[in-house]
Amino acid sequence: MKYDETEIKVRFNEVDSWGMVWHGHYLSWFEVGRMALLGKFRLLPKDFAQMGYIAPVVDLKCIFKEPARFNEEVLIRTTVLKPTKAALTFRFQALRKSDGKLLASGEETQVLLTLDGRMLYIIPQDLQARFQPLFDYFEEPDSAA
Amino acid sequence: MPGALVWELKKLIIETLKLEEITPEDIEDDGRLFGDGLGLDSIDALELVVALEKTYGVVIPDSEVGERVFRSVNTLAQFVREKTKSRTLELGNP
Repeated sequence: MKYDETEIKVRFNEVDSWGMVWHGHYLSWFEVGRMALLGKFRLLPKDFAQMGYIAPVVDLKCIFKEPARFNEEVLIRTTVLKPTKAALTFRFQALRKSDGKLLASGEETQVLLTLDGRMLYIIPQDLQARFQPLFDYFEEPDSAA
Repeated sequence: MPGALVWELKKLIIETLKLEEITPEDIEDDGRLFGDGLGLDSIDALELVVALEKTYGVVIPDSEVGERVFRSVNTLAQFVREKTKSRTLELGNP
């Protein structure tokens, strides 16, 4: 599976009294990864809103494998699944940069709503056209692999 | 057989959403499908929309239509009947 990558560095306020990153922070790191990816395709929340849509999160999970610690560099890998229904599903991995060890993995699903709160059961043409380059990117073989 | 489509839709709901502990007999014809009824949620609605389009060629574009159609198995059956009436398909006679 192809991933988009971005990096973060563990901040002092992200570690708990055991010196490990508090579990909730991984979710905000995934958000960093998601925004970095969506920004490349001009699909940030403001872009959605300009088209008349919002995309609230309806499902989120995270599996914790290894703790990250203060000042470590962490690689956030993000990918998006080709939709089988009117929802966007992202998958994430957080890896310790120094040894490539998987720290956590996660998955998040967003549905599509119009600005007046109508939930879309089918992805409309205008959005489908905007999503296509994103899906095509992840369909293409990874040149770095 | 007027109840055949209702039965078929119950089976479609169970199979699509993998409701392993529920049988068609457990779903009331007029019972609520979402919330405090069968307990389906918005993601379930998206799955059902895909299955209904594949099986019957009917399109439920959004929650505005969905809230009316997914009220119960009976309202869903009525919607499928209305939308497929113009075609020669005899959905009630499998």
